[in-house]
Amino acid sequence: MKLIYFTFLIVPAALLCLGSGNILARAEEDELDDVVDIEGEDNQVVGDDALVDDDESVVKSSQDIDTTILFTKPVPSLGDLTFDIQAGYPVEFFVGFINKGSVDYVVESMEASFRYPMDYTYYIQNFTALPYNREVKPKQEATFAYSFIPNEAFAGRPFGLNVQLNYRDASGNAYQEAVYNQTLNIVEVSEGLDGETFFLYVFLGAGGVLALVAGQQALASLARRRSPRSVSQPVETGTASEVDYDWLPKEIVNQLSKKISQDAEAVAARKESKEISRRRLRSRLKL
Amino acid sequence: MAAKLLYFVLFIAAAVSADDEPVLARLLVSKQVLNKYLVENMDILVKYTLFNVGSAPAVEVKLVDNGFHPDVFTVVGGQLTAEIDRIAPQTNVSHVVTVRSNKYGYFNFSSAEVTYKASEDATDVQYSISSAPGEGAIVAFKDYDRKFSSHILDWAAFAVMTLPSLAIPFGLWYSSKSKYEKLSKPKKGH
Repeated sequence: MKLIYFTFLIVPAALLCLGSGNILARAEEDELDDVVDIEGEDNQVVGDDALVDDDESVVKSSQDIDTTILFTKPVPSLGDLTFDIQAGYPVEFFVGFINKGSVDYVVESMEASFRYPMDYTYYIQNFTALPYNREVKPKQEATFAYSFIPNEAFAGRPFGLNVQLNYRDASGNAYQEAVYNQTLNIVEVSEGLDGETFFLYVFLGAGGVLALVAGQQALASLARRRSPRSVSQPVETGTASEVDYDWLPKEIVNQLSKKISQDAEAVAARKESKEISRRRLRSRLKL
Repeated sequence: MAAKLLYFVLFIAAAVSADDEPVLARLLVSKQVLNKYLVENMDILVKYTLFNVGSAPAVEVKLVDNGFHPDVFTVVGGQLTAEIDRIAPQTNVSHVVTVRSNKYGYFNFSSAEVTYKASEDATDVQYSISSAPGEGAIVAFKDYDRKFSSHILDWAAFAVMTLPSLAIPFGLWYSSKSKYEKLSKPKKGH
């Protein structure tokens, strides 16, 4: 009885601590055996295995090829395959391609695309399909560089990044391999001071000054209400009829007095003529 | 019962101690041209970075770049071959070369070749090809100079050419000013 306890409790715990953890169950992609006979082969992907399921038209990766990916910008944190990339800044990575087979392979192109994280068949954005057309002989390896810039409009959302390598072997069979197929987040890099924040502070400052002015006005009106002005201002009566003409030159004064007397005469004459006409009218009516 | 459990335990122990992957070094070599403008007879900086993504150190690493033909390219800094004794796992090493081209036109920057041994006690040499920057246009010096030089001589010539259009009105004004100054002087002196 005790042996059972020992086996099923202690041994897994010891393994997790001491072992590398590689014996834990994990899912592995089942790769179809696409390495077919070379002689008498036309340029088609044919599965020799009778147990191959219906989707023979879908190209898969070759068994002889091993690929690795390394992101150099931005550098992911240790041991983490999903990380954050910055919108508007270039993302660079290298793909290593090793040919463990016995035939030449030609790496044709590599393309990256953003997919919808919930459904990897839905393309959101396609990036350049960069052509390499590099021949990799057996037992050799090659490195391919690729970079792209995620659009700033995509900031703040997760995307599935799919990096696909297209290559073919000497007999013309085409293969595609998804070198990277993970979901990552696009973050927005916010610089320290931008236009919006600057004017926000200006607005807040103006609001503060307005509050101060309002407070000062309120205080002033309060003070005015409490103590009205007891000293009344002397009433202004305007200039008296005595006008001092000393500062005018003599000629002008004479002209002015002449003008005044002429005006007075004109007014008197007008008044007289009005009186005369009125008298005439009265006399006519009376008649 | 006890024997079965014992077999079970031994089996798991064997699985843990067995290696899943061979401990090997894997080098990713990148070749980058750092220049913004490629101009003939001016420095072109080429940077080679070797990343070891494996779990073992890479030993006897030899990098050679045969893509720069000695008739056209002169090496002014660094060397086109490099030897690194050991690159530890999960580290990278970079090597920079400065070359100058005496011709202008389109040039295809091809890959460099690296040979290394994948672990300390490996016998085979692994051959690796670096990434290639691709085709670049090396601009003639005349065009680059027209765009970027300080054009001191051109500005000096321009200044000399504009001198007449400035000097003639100034001369006319000065002559009339001095004439009227002379005229107004005896009046004041009186």
